[in-house]
Amino acid sequence: MKKLSELAKDSVAVIKTLNGDQRFMSRITSIGLTPGCTVTVIKNEKNRPLLVYSRDTMIALNRTECEMIEVEPGGKTA
Amino acid sequence: MSDNKETVIALLGQPNSGKSTLFNALTGMKQHVGNWPGKTVEKKEGSFVHNGKNYLVADLPGTYSLSANSDEEMITRDYIASGKADVICILADSSQLERSLYMLADYSGITVPCFLVLNMSDVALEQGKKVDAAKLEEKLGIPVVSFTATDVRSYDAFYKALERTTKQKTVLNTEDLEERYSTIEEYVTIKSVISDNIMPGYSKMWLAAKAVEGDAPVTARIRNASDESKRKIVDDAIKAVDKGVLTMGKCKFEWIDSLLSDTTSSRQSKASLGKFDRIITHHIWGKPVVVLIIILGLIGSFIPALPLMGVGMVIGNIPDPLNEMLLSVGCPAFIAAIICDVIMRSIAFIVQMLGFVFGVTLVFGLLEEIGVMARISYVFDNTMARFGLQGKSVMPFLISFGCTMGGAAGTRVIDNWGQKVLTIALAWAVPCGAAWAVIPMLSTLFFGAWMPVIIAVILLVMLLHMWITAKVFGRSLVKTEDRYGMIMELPPYHRPKWGALLRYVLGRTKDTFVRALKVVLIVALAFWLLSYTSSGDISASILYKVGRVIEPVTSFFGMKWQTFMAFIASSLGKEGALGVLSTIFTGSGTISVGSVVSGAAAENINELLVANIPKPEALALIFAMTFNMPCIVALAATYQETHSAKWTARIALYYTVVALVIAGIAYRIGLLIW
Repeated sequence: MKKLSELAKDSVAVIKTLNGDQRFMSRITSIGLTPGCTVTVIKNEKNRPLLVYSRDTMIALNRTECEMIEVEPGGKTA
Repeated sequence: MSDNKETVIALLGQPNSGKSTLFNALTGMKQHVGNWPGKTVEKKEGSFVHNGKNYLVADLPGTYSLSANSDEEMITRDYIASGKADVICILADSSQLERSLYMLADYSGITVPCFLVLNMSDVALEQGKKVDAAKLEEKLGIPVVSFTATDVRSYDAFYKALERTTKQKTVLNTEDLEERYSTIEEYVTIKSVISDNIMPGYSKMWLAAKAVEGDAPVTARIRNASDESKRKIVDDAIKAVDKGVLTMGKCKFEWIDSLLSDTTSSRQSKASLGKFDRIITHHIWGKPVVVLIIILGLIGSFIPALPLMGVGMVIGNIPDPLNEMLLSVGCPAFIAAIICDVIMRSIAFIVQMLGFVFGVTLVFGLLEEIGVMARISYVFDNTMARFGLQGKSVMPFLISFGCTMGGAAGTRVIDNWGQKVLTIALAWAVPCGAAWAVIPMLSTLFFGAWMPVIIAVILLVMLLHMWITAKVFGRSLVKTEDRYGMIMELPPYHRPKWGALLRYVLGRTKDTFVRALKVVLIVALAFWLLSYTSSGDISASILYKVGRVIEPVTSFFGMKWQTFMAFIASSLGKEGALGVLSTIFTGSGTISVGSVVSGAAAENINELLVANIPKPEALALIFAMTFNMPCIVALAATYQETHSAKWTARIALYYTVVALVIAGIAYRIGLLIW
C-alpha cells in the first residue's frame, strides 16, 4: 500500500481507499476517483500538483490531497 | 399560435460540461444575470422561443454533484425541489463520459422529468469514442441526445428531446442502480423507514442514498419526519456506515460502467499530455508561458477594441464645437456645459473604454471555450489559493495593469461569485495604464533619479495591499470551508462556437454600456455641479469650500486642498488629476469633467507643480492617486460584474480610505527624508 503522491511518473495503480473529511471524499468521488478505480500517474514533480489520468479524464490534484489517497501499485493502464 | 405558459428548463452539469456554451447558444442576448436570493452565488436565466412555445432557461450553478457541501449544491437541490423546473436537462461530456455521468447517477431517484445531453460529441469522435445514444436511451428511459455546440443540426435533436421530455414527462429509470444500492444493508434499513413526500421531487431511494453518504440536511429531514422508534433505526444505521460516500460512489460508478459497457466503443485512449500541456505543466516554463499567453491575449484584445476606441475619440471631439454652436444659438451656458462637458464627454469616455471590454470579453471568452483557461487555472492555482482564489484570477490581475475595467470584465470566466468579487477587489490595487502614464512622470518630476525606487515601492505596496485586502474581504466572500486544494480536471480542447460567443459578448458589452452610462453620468454630474462656478473662479465652487473646510483633516494625510482635489478627481480618472492641478495653479477655467477626462494641462504644468507642491506632499499625492479607486468606469464595470451595489460601494469606500492611509504613511516618511 502506498500513497498516490509516492508513485513515480507513468506508474499505474488501483485506488484502495480514501481518507479525509466528508467534503473531501464527496468531491474526490464526484471527479471519479473511487476505490477500485485505476489511475495512471502522468506527472509527479516536487512542489507541483500531481497529474493523473483516470476514467478518460486528466485530473490535477494538490499534493496534500494525494496524501489522503491510498493505492496498490500495479494493474493495467487505464 | 403561441402558447403563453412558458416551460421552465433547468441546465444541470459539472463545470466544463459545456453548460454555459449551451445556455448562451439557446438564449443569445435574452439573458438576465443576478444572484440567488441571500446567497453569494450567481443566478443566470434566459429565454427562447421554439415552435411558438416560450421557454425559460435556468442555468443552475456548476457543481460536481448534488451533495450538500456548498451553497451551489444546496441551491441546485432546493431549486429542483421547488418544482419551478418542468424539465431538467442534464449535461455530460462525451469525451469523458465515464466521469461526467456521475451527475446523472447522483440525480437518479429525483422524479422531475429529465433528459440527457451528451455534449462535445465531436471531441469524443476525434478521440475515437462512439456512443450509441439510442441504446443508452432505452436503458435510461429518458431522451438522450448526442450534441455538439458548434453543429447546427445538433440543436434540432436537442429541441426534439426537450419537447419529448416535456410531453411524455420522462423520468430516469433507476431500477439497475437501486439494485446495486440494495446490496448495502444500511441503505435498505434507512429506506424502509422513510416517510412519504418529505422532500418534493426526491424519491425515497435518493434520500436514503444521501443519508448513507452522511448528508446532514437530508438526514435531518428524514429524522424530523420520523417518530421516535424510526428515528433510532435511522440513527443506528447511519452510525454503522463507514465512509458512506465511497460506498455509494462505488455503486454509482459501477452502474455507469455497466451502462457504458455495451453502448460505447472506443479505441484505446492514450493517457498522455499534448505538446501544449507539456509546456504548461512544466515546473519552470509553465508560469512564464501562461503570463505570455495572457499578455498576448491582452494585445489581441486591442484588435477588436480599436474601432470602438476610434468611435469614442470621434465623440470626444464633438463637445468643443458643439458648445460653441449651442452658445451661438442662445442656449444658456449652464445647459450647454451640462450637455457638452458632462453628457458628451462621459459618453466618449465610456465608449473608448468599452472597446477594451469588448476585446477582453471576446478574447478571454474564446480562451475559456477552447479550454486554455482551465490550464491557466491549473498553473496558478497554488499561488492564488493563498488569496482564497482560483488560478484563473491571475488573468484579471494582469489585464488590470492595462485597464481595470477590462480586468473586471475578465472575471467573467470565474465561476464562483465570491471569488469573482474578491478578484475584482484585489484587481483594483493593480495600477492601471492611466496610472502608469501619470505616476512615472510625476515621480521623475519631483524625485528625478529616485523614480525607479518609487515605482518599485509602489509595486511592493500593491502586493501588500492585495494581501491585506484578501484578508479583509476574503472571509465573507470565500468561506474557509470552500477553500480546499486543487482537485480539477483538464478538459480536452474544443472548437469555439463563434456565433454564440459573439452574441454573448455583444450582449454583455451592451449591458456594460448601459450600466456604465448610468453610473458615470450620475457621478460626473455630481462632480461637475460641485465644481461649477459661473465666474470661472475656482474659489467660488462648492468643492473649493468643502476642500478648505476639511483641509485640517486631509493635511493629516499629507494633502492640502489642491492636492486633495486632484486626489478626488483621480478617482474619476487618473489622468484627470493633472488637469485639476493645472486648473487650480493657473487659476483659470473651471474643473470640468472634460478636464478630468481629457487630462488637459497647462504648458508649464511641470514648473507649476514643482513650485507649488513640497516633496512630502507630492509623495503623498503619488501614492494616493495610484491606490485610489481606479476610475468611474471601473466602478461601473465592478457593479456590472458583481451585480451588487453593496459590494461595489464597499470596495470603493475601502479603496478611498486605504489610499488616504497609504498617502498619510508616505507623507510621514517623506517628512523624515526631506
